[in-house]
Amino acid sequence: MTTVPPTTITETGAERAEAAPTRWADAWQWLERRLVALTERANPILVKETRQALKSRQFLVTFIIVLIGCWVVSFVGVAVVGPQIYYAASGPGLLIFYYAILALPLALIVPYTAFRSLAAEQEEQTYDLLSITTLGSRQIVTGKLLSATVQMLVYLCAVSPCIAFTFLLRGVDALTTAMMLAMAVLGSLMLCMMALLIGAVARAKHTQIVTSVALVLGLFGAFVGAISLGTAILTGGSVVFREPEFWVIAFGLMMVYVTTFGLLRAAAAAQIAFVSENRSTPLRRWMMAQQACFAGWVGGVLYAFSVYESLGGGPLSDVIIAGGAMASFYWYAMGAMLTGEWPHLSRRVQRSLPQSTLARALLSLMNPGPGSGYLFAVANLTTLVLAGLAALWLLDAAAGTWTPIETAACFLVLAWSYVVGFLGFGRLLINLIRRWAYVPMAAAFLLHVILLLTAIGVPTVVQMMSREYRNAGYTLLQLTNPVWTLAELWDRGMAAVEGEILILATPALAVIALLLNMRSVSTELLHHRIPVPIRVAEDEAALHPAPEARPTSPWELDDDANGTV
Amino acid sequence: MVGARRPLIEVRRLHRYFGPTKAVYDMSFEVYAGEVFGYIGPNGAGKTTSMRILSTLDEPTYGDAFVDGFSVVDDPDRVRRRLGFMPDYFGTYQNMNVAEYLDFFARAYGLRSYQRRAAIDYAMEFTLLETLADKPINGLSKGMKQRLSLGRTMIHDPAVLILDEPAAGLDPRARIELREMIGRLADHNKTVLVSSHILTELAEMCHRVGIIEQGRLLAVGTVQEISSRTHTRSEVRLRVLSDPAVLINYLQARSDVSSVALRAGQVMLTHDGGPEEQATLLRELIEAGFPVVEFGSKTKSLEDVFMHVTEGRVQ
Ligand SMILES: Nc1ncnc2c1ncn2[C@@H]1O[C@H](COP(=O)(O)OP(=O)(O)OP(=O)(O)O)[C@@H](O)[C@H]1O
Ligand SMILES: [Mg+2]
Repeated sequence: MTTVPPTTITETGAERAEAAPTRWADAWQWLERRLVALTERANPILVKETRQALKSRQFLVTFIIVLIGCWVVSFVGVAVVGPQIYYAASGPGLLIFYYAILALPLALIVPYTAFRSLAAEQEEQTYDLLSITTLGSRQIVTGKLLSATVQMLVYLCAVSPCIAFTFLLRGVDALTTAMMLAMAVLGSLMLCMMALLIGAVARAKHTQIVTSVALVLGLFGAFVGAISLGTAILTGGSVVFREPEFWVIAFGLMMVYVTTFGLLRAAAAAQIAFVSENRSTPLRRWMMAQQACFAGWVGGVLYAFSVYESLGGGPLSDVIIAGGAMASFYWYAMGAMLTGEWPHLSRRVQRSLPQSTLARALLSLMNPGPGSGYLFAVANLTTLVLAGLAALWLLDAAAGTWTPIETAACFLVLAWSYVVGFLGFGRLLINLIRRWAYVPMAAAFLLHVILLLTAIGVPTVVQMMSREYRNAGYTLLQLTNPVWTLAELWDRGMAAVEGEILILATPALAVIALLLNMRSVSTELLHHRIPVPIRVAEDEAALHPAPEARPTSPWELDDDANGTV
Repeated sequence: MVGARRPLIEVRRLHRYFGPTKAVYDMSFEVYAGEVFGYIGPNGAGKTTSMRILSTLDEPTYGDAFVDGFSVVDDPDRVRRRLGFMPDYFGTYQNMNVAEYLDFFARAYGLRSYQRRAAIDYAMEFTLLETLADKPINGLSKGMKQRLSLGRTMIHDPAVLILDEPAAGLDPRARIELREMIGRLADHNKTVLVSSHILTELAEMCHRVGIIEQGRLLAVGTVQEISSRTHTRSEVRLRVLSDPAVLINYLQARSDVSSVALRAGQVMLTHDGGPEEQATLLRELIEAGFPVVEFGSKTKSLEDVFMHVTEGRVQ
C-alpha cells in the first residue's frame, strides 16, 4: 500500500472547486440534522402516517389526479381563452376550477382518510396496541389531525403553481386568493376534526357502514358548499373585504371556529380515553370559553348598536332575545349530554378534586358527573340570563320604551325556565331508568330529546284534535311547548300568550325540577378528594424530582456554609 | 426463582362480568419478579379477559389488579410504562415494514433518538428478526408475526410482560425458540405471565402455573404441587386368576375405591390415595387371598391433571 504524500495545492481554481461542495454539504448536513431533530420531537402518529401515506396507493392516485386535473384545466382553459389571454381578465374563471380541484381532496378525501385511519385502528385492533403505549388520547387525536394537515399541505403545494399562474392572467387579487385558500384549509381542518370525532364515537362495527355513508354524503355536501362559497368569494370578495364589518365578523367567526375546534378535539380525546380518566372537565372548560366568547360578542353587538345608531329599544331587545334563544339552545344541548354522564367518580378523578373550601365552592361544577353537569349548564345559562336582564335594565333606563323590553325580559326568563325544567325532569327520568338499566350518554341524550318532543307534540296534537281549540291559535295548553310559546311571545308580546300565568307557572315548574334534583346533585358535589397512594407519590417524585433547594439570599448561603463547617 | 419477594403482578378479588357471563370471578394471585407464571384454562375460561384488565385495556367490574404496585384502574399510565402486552392477535398496519413498525411503537413509548435505535436493534436481535427488517408486515408468516409481536411487546423494556397464547399456531421449532426467549426474559429478571390451553407447553418454562376455568382460579402452584395434589386419586388396573366378580364385590365394599368395572378380563378402579395407600391396598388384597397377577397404577400425565382440575364446563 502506498501512502499518499501530502500535496500542496497551489491552483486556486481547484481549491475553490473543492471548497464549494463542502460548504454546501455542511449546510445540507446541518439541515438534515435539524430535520432529524424535528422528527424526533414530532408526534409518533404523524411520523408513522406520513410514512404510510407516502407508500399508499390511494394517496398516490389522488395526488396524480389532482395534478392531471390541474394540467387539463390549464390547457383547456388557455385553449378556450385563446389569444385574448394577453389582455382579458381570465384569472377568476380558471381559479374557480383549480379551487374545485383542490376542494376535492381537502373537503372529501383528507377528512374521509382521517376517519378511516381511526376506524381502521379499531378494525385491525391496533387501537388496543396504541392505547396501551404511553401516548395519551389527546396526542392520538392530535397525531391524526397533524397527519391530515400534512396531506392537505401536499395537495395545496400541488395546486399552488396553478394558482400562481392565475395571477399572471389578471383579474384576481392576492387577498381574495389568500382568503379562499385560508377558508379551504380551515374548513378542511374542521371537517377532519368532525370526521375524527365521528370515528371515535362510532366504534361499533355495525354502525360503521351507516356512519361511513352518512359521512361521505356530508363531506360531499361540504365539497359542494366549498365550491359555491369559493365562487361567492371570487365574485364578491374584493368588494366585501374592503368593508371593516367583514373583518369584525370574520374575527367573530374565527373565535367560534377556535372554540368549537377545541371542544370537538376535547370530545374526541374524551371518547377514546381510558374510563377512569377525567373526561368531562376539559370539555366543560371549552364550553365556558365558548360561552365567554359568545357573551362578549353579544355585548359587543349591543354596544355597537347603541353607540352608532339611535335605534331605540326595539332592535336591541331583539338582539338580546336572539342571543337568549341561542344560549338556551346551546345549554340545552350541552346539558342533555352532560346529564348523561356516568355518576360514578373513579378514584383517579377523586384524587384530583378541588380541595380548599374556595376551590370546592367555585370548581365543583367542573367535576365529572351528571348532577354537577346539570348544575353547570344551569349556572352558565343563569349567568347569561342575568347578564341579559341587566342589559335590558340598562336599556330601559336609557330608552324608556317598556313594551319590547318587557317582552325580552319575559323571553329570557321563560327560556331559562324551559331549559332548567326540561333538563331537570329529563335527568330525573334518566336516574329512574338507571335503577334498572345501563343508560349510556347517547341514550340519555335521546331520552332528553324524546321528552322534549313529547312535550311539544302532545299539546299540539291535542289541540289539533279538539274541535274547540283547533283554530284558536296559541292557547295555554301549549305551556309545555317551548318552541311555540317562545315564538309567539317574541312575535306578539306578553298579551298574546297570557303572560301572567306563563311567567308564574313555567319558572315555578323549573324551580321544582331544580329542587327535585338537588338531593342527588348535592351527593355528587360533596365528594372529597382522596389521598394519592404512596406508591404513586413515590413514582411521581422519581419522575419529576423537586428542584434542589437553591439559596435564594446571601444569608442562606452563609447558613449553609456554617452548617457544613 | 428469584429471591426478591415483591409481587410485580398482584390480582385482588378481580371480577369481570359481561351481562350474565362471569368471565372472571373472584380471582386473586401474585406473581413475583423474575417469575414466569403460566395461565392455563380451556376456551372461554377468562384468560384473555383477565389479561386485558391487567394490561389496562378493560376495567374490572369489581376488584383491582396492581402492576408494580400501581392500580390498573387508577394509574393506567404508570402501569403502561412498566408493562408489555402481547395479545392473541397481531395488529397490522398497511404499507409498513418490520423496522418501521417497531420504530413507531418505540416512538409511541416515548423513546428518542439513540435510545430508540438501540431498543429496536435489541428487540430485532432478541426475536431473530434482523434479516426481516425491510419486509412489509402484511407479508409475514404467522411465526414471524408472533416474533414481531413479541418484539413490539418488549420494545420499551417493560418489567412485566403479558403474553396471551404466544405459542398458538407455531411449528415445533418455533415453539422451542419461543420457550428459549421467554426463559431469557426471566433471566433478565422480567416477570412474565403467559397463557395457554396446554399444560405441557407451559410446564417446562413456568415457575408456577394457575389453572382457571369459568373465570375462577382453581389451583395455583408449581406443576409438581398441583399434580401431587391431584395425585390422590389414580386409575388402578388389576388382574386376578380367580373369579373377578368376587374381587369386584370385595372392592366395592371398600371405602377408598370407586367406579369399579370389568374390562377385557381386567378390573379397573379409581383409588383415593397416593402410592403408599396403593401398596396397602395390594397387601390387603393378597392377605384376603386374591391371586393377584397384575397390579398397575397409571401415573397421571399433565393432561390428566388439567382434565381433573377443570371440569369442562362451558358457560
Ligand atoms: N367483549 C365481550 N363481551 C361479552 N362476553 C365476552 C367478551 N369478552 C369475553 N367474553 C366472554 O367471557 C368469557 C371468557 O372469555 P375469554 O376470551 O377471556 O376466554 P379465554 O380464556 O381467553 O378463551 P380462549 O382460550 O378461547 O382464548 C367467555 O365466555 C366469553 O364469551
Ligand atoms: Mg383468549
